[in-house]
Amino acid sequence: MHSFTKNFLKGIIRSNPTFILLLGLCPTLAVSTSLDNAVGMAAAFIFVLLASNIIISLIRNYVPVRVRIPVFIVIIATLVTIVDLILQGFIPALSKSLGMYIPLIVVNCIILGRAEAFASRNNTTNSIADALGMGVGFAWAIVLISLIRQLLGTGALDLFGHHLFTVPGLADNPVTIFLLPMGAFFAIGVLLALFRWMGVSTGE
Amino acid sequence: MSNLIAIFFGMALVNNMVLVKFLGLCPFFGVSKKLKSALSMGIAVLLVMVVASVVTWPIFHFLLVPYGVEFMRTVIFILVIASLVQIIEMTIKRTNLTLYNALGIYLPLITTNCAVLGITFINIDQAYTFSESIIAALGAGAGFTLVLIIMSGIRERLDMADPPLAFKGTPIAFITAMLLGLCFLAFGGIIR
Amino acid sequence: MEVRKNGFYPVIFLTLIVFISIAALTVTNAVTKDKIELAKKDEIAEMLSTLFPEMEGFTYDEKGDLYTPLAKQQPLGHAFMAEISGYSGAISILVGLEPDTTLRGIRIISQQETPGLGARIAESFFLQQFPGLAMDDIELTRKGGKVDAITGATISSSAVVEGVRKALLEKLDQLRRET
Repeated sequence: MHSFTKNFLKGIIRSNPTFILLLGLCPTLAVSTSLDNAVGMAAAFIFVLLASNIIISLIRNYVPVRVRIPVFIVIIATLVTIVDLILQGFIPALSKSLGMYIPLIVVNCIILGRAEAFASRNNTTNSIADALGMGVGFAWAIVLISLIRQLLGTGALDLFGHHLFTVPGLADNPVTIFLLPMGAFFAIGVLLALFRWMGVSTGE
Repeated sequence: MSNLIAIFFGMALVNNMVLVKFLGLCPFFGVSKKLKSALSMGIAVLLVMVVASVVTWPIFHFLLVPYGVEFMRTVIFILVIASLVQIIEMTIKRTNLTLYNALGIYLPLITTNCAVLGITFINIDQAYTFSESIIAALGAGAGFTLVLIIMSGIRERLDMADPPLAFKGTPIAFITAMLLGLCFLAFGGIIR
Repeated sequence: MEVRKNGFYPVIFLTLIVFISIAALTVTNAVTKDKIELAKKDEIAEMLSTLFPEMEGFTYDEKGDLYTPLAKQQPLGHAFMAEISGYSGAISILVGLEPDTTLRGIRIISQQETPGLGARIAESFFLQQFPGLAMDDIELTRKGGKVDAITGATISSSAVVEGVRKALLEKLDQLRRET
């Protein structure tokens, strides 16, 4: 059990995929314009990461070394397409706002990275822990960034149609730049600096 | 003709892959520290983007659509890209060893470059014709290379500058990207 | 596990994985296909009902690229999509026509204009200027028309106005040729 917890926890802060490993930034920045998008993307991501880690760790002893990357890619691409189709059919609004970033999960360095670095070399239980840890790490990172962007960019916070709260004064004069791509760069730059300053080392 | 020009500049500047569409960020921050590597990576990506577009467009329109299996798009495209990168790598290795050594490790990395898969998707989603797709890929690759070169030039200077300790390295790179993005915003509206 | 080093095994394995992938996706596709079709139809219906709130259903003429919203089996008018180039990218506009082909109104379906500036073309204060406009009046006020541009978003406003007028001209022409 100890190794399960250890593998789970490392993805959350110490080896956080977004802030420490600096992986999978494309969807994180692209999609974090609203809380809904962030939560949707995080859910899709965790599903794919978990499923792929499980499957790959199950077949790890049978995969020939020479074709392992294509095999991983096919498995991940299949999982991603399944998620894409399900979203299109059952949550079309989310599918529309996340757009092509859902299929792009397939080239998300985090998933392929974990498959290659961990799931193909460790047993299924630990792979599940690793996936969950990395997934949660990614999730809270993208939610944090979108919180900042949506709050500062629109002055209000909504989640799936439920209005959470409005910052008085800010709603009339929001810092719109945060909704633009450059706002995302700014937000993550400042956050990274913040983490540095708090003593957590970043992967340089 | 003007349509093609609009697509090229649209992809390269207004809808720049990195600064606007957020594609190709990993190499952007990983490789942009030195001008030489930035240039190599940019050209390699441009090459793969164009070849990938040339190959995936017919596959989609003449194979996937007629058989009603558009949903296979993601799997097929990524496999095509992975294979292309392998083939290109081997070809360069055989024909031009110096080029191969210059591009070196960057080639395999291109497989997971979201910008390459991204442009193949964009070609389909925007319903581009075959020639439009090629121009779009050229534009996207050019824009990517441009931004990479600018970024590396800035970062080479930044390394000698003295930002607050917490910002040193990657964080200041992001802030720089933001400023760069702001500048590229000015390109909006040139397509009229 | 010496067999792993054998020349054919890797290829066989990869092919097997690809086949499993195709199978899994075909199944998923079969399961979700109808839902996706339905979702798309719902999306179009929702879009049309922003201009025709009393609509109960619609038909689509593929050849003429024209929607006909219906209520109690009677056409309420027509609608079509206009795709134009805005300041920061493509803008999709739904143009609605009354049965007598006067302009019923427009709705912005998708746009990537600057939030707070160009993006305001989707707001009602801008859109409400369109219903009932005669063809010659579909122009910015500073050019002699009746549509006030959005302050600070001249290019976006102009793009919409020009785009709607052009698309309307083309569509009316097409309709005239068909009748």
